[in-house]
This record gives sequence, structure tokens and C-alpha cells, in this order.
Amino acid sequence: MRPADPQQFFVGYVDGVPQRTRSFLAPLIALCLVVVASVAGLAATLQNDAGDGVFEFGVTKPFAGWIERLPHPVLVSPDPSGDGHSRYLLSAFGKHGADELFTGAPGAWYELEGTLVYRDGRSMIEVVAGSVSIATTPTGAVHPTASPDELGVRTLTGEIVDSKCYLGVMKPGNLKSHRACAVRCISGGVPPVLLVRDDEGYATYYLLVDDEGGAVNERVLPMVALPIEITGEVERHGDLLVLRSDPDSYTLLHE
Amino acid sequence: MGVGYRAVGWNRNKKRYDQVVLVGVLLSIAAFVVLSLVTDKGLTFETALIRSTAITAFLLLHVILCIGPLARLDQRFLPLLYNRRHLGVTMFAVAFVHGVFSLIQFHALGDTDPLVSLVTTPISGGAAGFPFQPLGAAALAILFLMAATSHDFWLANLTAPVWKALHMLVYAAYGLIVMHVALGALQDQRHPVLLAAVIVGLVLVLGLHLIAGFREKGSDREVAPSGTDDLTGWVDVGPADEIPDTRARILTVSGERVAVFRDGTRVFAMSNLCQHQNGPLGEGCVRDGLVTCPWHGYQYRPEDGQSPPPFHERVPTFATRVVDGRVWLDPEPRAAGTFVEPSTTTNP
Ligand code: HEM
Ligand code: FES
Repeated sequence: MRPADPQQFFVGYVDGVPQRTRSFLAPLIALCLVVVASVAGLAATLQNDAGDGVFEFGVTKPFAGWIERLPHPVLVSPDPSGDGHSRYLLSAFGKHGADELFTGAPGAWYELEGTLVYRDGRSMIEVVAGSVSIATTPTGAVHPTASPDELGVRTLTGEIVDSKCYLGVMKPGNLKSHRACAVRCISGGVPPVLLVRDDEGYATYYLLVDDEGGAVNERVLPMVALPIEITGEVERHGDLLVLRSDPDSYTLLHE
Repeated sequence: MGVGYRAVGWNRNKKRYDQVVLVGVLLSIAAFVVLSLVTDKGLTFETALIRSTAITAFLLLHVILCIGPLARLDQRFLPLLYNRRHLGVTMFAVAFVHGVFSLIQFHALGDTDPLVSLVTTPISGGAAGFPFQPLGAAALAILFLMAATSHDFWLANLTAPVWKALHMLVYAAYGLIVMHVALGALQDQRHPVLLAAVIVGLVLVLGLHLIAGFREKGSDREVAPSGTDDLTGWVDVGPADEIPDTRARILTVSGERVAVFRDGTRVFAMSNLCQHQNGPLGEGCVRDGLVTCPWHGYQYRPEDGQSPPPFHERVPTFATRVVDGRVWLDPEPRAAGTFVEPSTTTNP
């Protein structure tokens, strides 16, 4: 088990490793390096796909429209074609919502700069600090008048995610690894949404509000990033779905 | 400070060692990043950095933990132990990058101080709802403490037993990290091979420690005093010529491990515990007339267990006698550094 010859005995401060020890260790060290690199590479290969969200990092564009409060501000922007509107979820820099950026009276027309985040046809704007201003409504801009479609009571199964990270700012932006971050974002006012994926992998997002239409951010924090079932009234506001339900009635599915 | 310590200095072996460690770290990070890109996982740069450093540090920790028992099982692994400190500091540095980037990525720019946010993620029932990041943070704190006190200066100031106890915390850190991974990444990453890899690592670390422990126990002969006549209370170590030349036989008397050496015709005994990091002196050898520790090469004089000047280390010594070719040991330790005349055996 041990070399009998004291000359074969390794003493660190004496330069040179005894030949016997060297020819024993060298292949083992090489093997160890190969194993380490292989395990790291294997872990990379087997990890989940982070999805196809997009964050146009570093690119800002002008946006304009009215603000609808659900209760988080949502930008309602007339489509360039003139008919129809697009709705954008909004957030501020970092892990913050945009609730305080829009201080004008209801019906005011806003202009702002922002960075687009989008995934599965759902878009959010990260608003550039200080870029929001109120202007006169352009002639020809038609305010949407239709009241929301009531789609009735539904029971939905999915995961509560923060809309900013999941739509593309962080990849991945959901599940356990991201849970603490989602908690921070939603606590900071980023709109919480229920992510529902059907069997084909097609995603639908529901903006979460309580049964009175109020914000649920603080109340959903312990339930973020976990499998959950929510029963509530679904409303369609243009291209945006809203789910009204008291967070006390949400059911976590993992217990 | 006034406390003498001898730095295990730089030399060619250490430089080569560090080069290999650096190559390993870069290889591991590169393998993760390149394969994430090639397989088109769509990770952001931050995620790739956080994950590649995490996996690299975790792998390094396995290597570190396996070297100890391997060196106890086969002395040819000793060169790896010699500079393990650098492995530990490197592992801490890589884990630190992972921890700091995670802290920034997941907790900064929010409505709460990032360090508060780190420890206040709400707990929800089940493994999926249990916060795993504080476990990683606790492990990182331990690794920091170890890296910061890894220099021999601290070893001398804290004394070897305290230092050794502190560095035993590496096992706590390992446990925390395994939980950090099991309750974190493995909750998301459901490929069974990933779970299997963590388990294989755990089995390897535990298994090697158990095997080395059992081997040691097996060779640890607790010897009861059996002497007669003028050797009353002494311990029979066995035939002198069964101790290999320049080597020792280790035995346990009243719970203490004693190394009984033979160097040619001279027989002498001292405590098995090296004063440096409690390395096993009895697994060392006599070199240039001095007992030489297998771990970092600290040396002690046969007759009094003292390191030759200018060094100050000293270990307890024991009296020996050779009668009819058999070695006898007085189980009463002499104070560290006490002169005891080595005994002689006629048939070397
Ligand atoms: C302040 C300290 C730490 C924090 C905040 C932290 C945070 C995290 C986070 C958020 C993840 C999930 C990343 C993802 O899947 O995208 C993770 C994973 C991981 N962490 Fe830590 N960690 C810390 C310390 C450590 C330490 C000291 C180690 C020791 C080597 C470690 C090893 C790992 C490993 C192996 C993974 C799984 C691989 C991965 O998904 O990246 N962590 N950590
Ligand atoms: S333990 Fe370091 S030289 Fe003995």
C-alpha cells in the first residue's frame, strides 16, 4: 500500500515528484479533468430550454397611448392601421412596476420611451425613467369604448410568474430557480400573471386581479412559481386576458 | 504576533498544481458554456455564468473531499493533498462568483435590500416551496471562513485542533450545497441523469470516507498493557523487524495514537499527530534522520520530537525498549519535546 523506498516518498518542498508516484497520478489527473469537463458539458446538454422570450436590451423605441388601470397601468395604443388597439403590460427599471409613472387624469394621452419584452404574442414595455409625458391626443386616435368581454368562470392550472422576467428579461424566468426573483419583482409592482400551457405547449397569460379588480401582488407572493389551480372570472380587455379571483381561493397543487 | 509559523512556500510542484487546477476550472466553465450554446438552450449570459460557475465549484468540492480519503488509502495520492489549500481557495473564488452574480441577478434592483431579500423568500409547503438560496449562502459563508483562515499563519495562531475543527466544517458546507442543489436546480431540471450525477457524487464522497475510516480502524490496534517484570504496564508492539525500515507502526494506547519507528537499528516512538495540521506522522518516514510528515513534510527529531531549529513544533514522545527482538512501549506520554533515548535492536 505504501512505497517502501524513502526516495519514493513525496515531500512537497523537495522539487520533483518520484517517478512511481508521477506515473500513477498523471493519468488519474488527466482522467479527472476529462470527467469534470464531461459532467459540466452533460449538465449543459440536459438542462431545460430557457424558452424564446425576447428582451430588446439596449434598444428603446417611442410608444404612445392611453392608460387603462387593471389596476396596474396597461398602455392601450392605437394600431398604426387605425382599427384596433394593442395592449402593453408596463414595468419600470429593475424589479419595479410602472404604477407610479402615470399620474395624469383618466383619458390622458401619454408618450414614452421604452424597451420591448415579448413572448408568445404578449408584450411588455420596460419604461425608460423620466421619458413619460402627457400630450394632446392626436387627431384621429380612437379611444376603445367597448366594455370587456365576460368569458365566464373558469378553472385554470398553471404557474404564477412575474410578467417581466418570464416574457424575456431573464431566461429562464420561471420555476424554482427563479422563484426568489419572481417574488421580488411581483413585490416591486411588476404585474403577476398566470401562465397556462396547453398540451401542445401553447401559452396563455392571465393578468391576476382579486375579485374586486384590485392588485393581488402582496397576497400571491408565497404562491409564486409553484403549480397552482385558480378558479375565477375571465375578462377579455382587447388582446389582454384578466382573471378575477380572490387569492384566498387559489389552490397550490404540490401538497 | 510573535507566533512562529513556517509557510509552506512556493515551489515548482505548487506551480504545476495550480496550473492544472486553473486548466480544470476553465475547461469546466468552457464545456458548460459551449454546450449550452451548441444545444441552443437560449440562456442569457448571466444564467450561463451563474450555472457554469456553480457546477464548476461543486465539482471542485467533490475533488477536494475525495483527496483526503484517497491519500489515506494510497500514499501515491499525497502530492494532491500537499497543496489542497489552493484547491479550496480556488473553489471558494468560483463559488463566490456564482453567489454574487446570483445575488445581483435575483435580488438586486428591487424593493428590498438584496441581502434581506436573499433570506426572506416566502416558505411554502413541500420541497418546491422551500427557499434554497439561503442554504447556498450559508455554505458560501463557511467556505469564506475556511479560505480566509487557510494560511498557515492562522493555523499557528488558532492552534492545530481549533483550525482542524474549523476546517471540518467543509462537510457541513458540502451538506448544505447538496441540499441547495436538491431543493433548487433539481426541482426544475428533471432529467434523471442530473439527479443521478448528484447521487453518484454523494456516494463517492461518503464511500471513500467510510472505506478509509474502516481501513484505519482495522489497522488501529488498541493495545492493552501486558508487560511483566520491570516492564509492568508497558505495551507489546511486536517484533522490531516487522516494522519496515525508516517507517512506523501506528498503534492506539489509551485512546492516543502513537507512531513507533524503526530507523536501521534505532527504535523510537512519538505521538502520531503532526503539529502542523494533525497529519499522521506514522504514515510518514524517516528522511535525513528526521521523522517526516507525509502531508506537508514537517520534520521532527527522533530523540525528542522537536522540529530542528529554526522551527518550534514539538510532539509528545514515548519511551521504548527492545527485549529479545520485540519492541515494548511505555504508554505514558512524555511532555512534547522531551528527550527519550531511542532503543536499539540488534538484528536490523
Ligand atoms: C450566496 C450564495 C448563493 C446563492 C445566492 C446561490 C444561488 C443559486 C441559484 C439562484 C441557483 C439556481 C440557478 C439557476 O438554475 O439558474 C443556484 C444553483 C446552484 N448553486 Fe448556488 N448559490 C449560492 C451559493 C452556492 C455555493 C457556495 C455553491 C457551491 C458550490 C453553489 C452551488 C450551486 C449549484 C451546483 C447549483 C446548480 C447548478 C445551477 O443550476 O446553476 N451555490 N444557486
Ligand atoms: S500536517 Fe502538514 S506537515 Fe504534517
